[in-house]
Amino acid sequence: MTNDELFAKISAKFPKIDKAAVPVKDYLTVRLATTSDLVPFSQWLKDNAFDMLETVTATDLLGPVDMKGYISQMNFNPFLPEGATPQIVAAATTGYPYKPAIDLLYIFYSVDLRARVFLRLEIAREGVSVPSLVPLFKSADWQERETFDLLGVRFDGHPNLIKILTPDFTVGHPLRKDYVHIKDRFDE
Amino acid sequence: MAMILEKLPGLTKGLPGGELLLTTSDYFIDLGRKQSMWPMTFGLACCAIEMMASYASRLDFDRMGVIPRASPRQADVMIVAGTVCKKMAEPILEIYHQMPEPRFVISMGSCANCGGPYYDSYSVLKGVDRIVPVDVYIAGCPPRPEALQYAVVKLQEKIAKMTLKKGLATPQQEKGSRDINA
Repeated sequence: MTNDELFAKISAKFPKIDKAAVPVKDYLTVRLATTSDLVPFSQWLKDNAFDMLETVTATDLLGPVDMKGYISQMNFNPFLPEGATPQIVAAATTGYPYKPAIDLLYIFYSVDLRARVFLRLEIAREGVSVPSLVPLFKSADWQERETFDLLGVRFDGHPNLIKILTPDFTVGHPLRKDYVHIKDRFDE
Repeated sequence: MAMILEKLPGLTKGLPGGELLLTTSDYFIDLGRKQSMWPMTFGLACCAIEMMASYASRLDFDRMGVIPRASPRQADVMIVAGTVCKKMAEPILEIYHQMPEPRFVISMGSCANCGGPYYDSYSVLKGVDRIVPVDVYIAGCPPRPEALQYAVVKLQEKIAKMTLKKGLATPQQEKGSRDINA
């Protein structure tokens, strides 16, 4: 089944779902408008041979990052001759659409069709929770915990939404762009 | 009355039957201790690959009496090979206390020495010497297996200087491990 056939099938059932502006590689990448579409769409995917949830992850689109508290000279070159001016590296992210949002990414895989569906969902950074996919896919459990731990996305209906990677004394969600590290007992 | 024979192994032939050997207790204890340093297999990151290469047949750590043990109860030396995350700090301290004294610590690689490339990170301990006393540091990212073997030679030299009179602890060990809950 090609991407177009698959997308035709999807849009017949869910007319509100669009293709994402930038696809991930050659895979079918769709973007959800609201969080309420997530569970019905995932249920439909599960019923239509997409029986495996590979990845749940997210990106914080807030930017650019304030470099306060980090290394002052990021590209310090110890081999530069005395008096020479360092090469100026153009900012790689010029024109990047920074916005206060978190972009969730779900990857579904179909063992039978050997096809993947990439699902993107943009949510607000604060005060929004996403329905959990644990009742549908068991593999979502730890990955949603990781997304919660590192980016602070709340998943409604998750059976055990607690920290998974960072130690108990870490305050905040480290992969958020506005994360400020609070010194703990190992930092002195 | 005792003869110190540590520098004159040829004299033992002159003793009756060659069966009697007199030496100092310090030399004898240190000899046994330094020729059988059993490290704990404790790979935390990519330095562990170099550590494994040291044990393998090309460089053959066994010839120096270094035999990896899977339990801290049987180990003398802990080779901290790799990045120490803050979450790993407490298990390291627990393992360190489970090792019988005298115990030694080799800090292998930049990460274990000072945090290395992760010194600005929120999750990495900036040097394992913040929680346990370290005897030998190895520079490198990662150090070559030869560097690890050189560190063991250096540790052997250090052990050879230990005396019963001064107590069995090395200066680093007298300092003790850090109480992280304090």
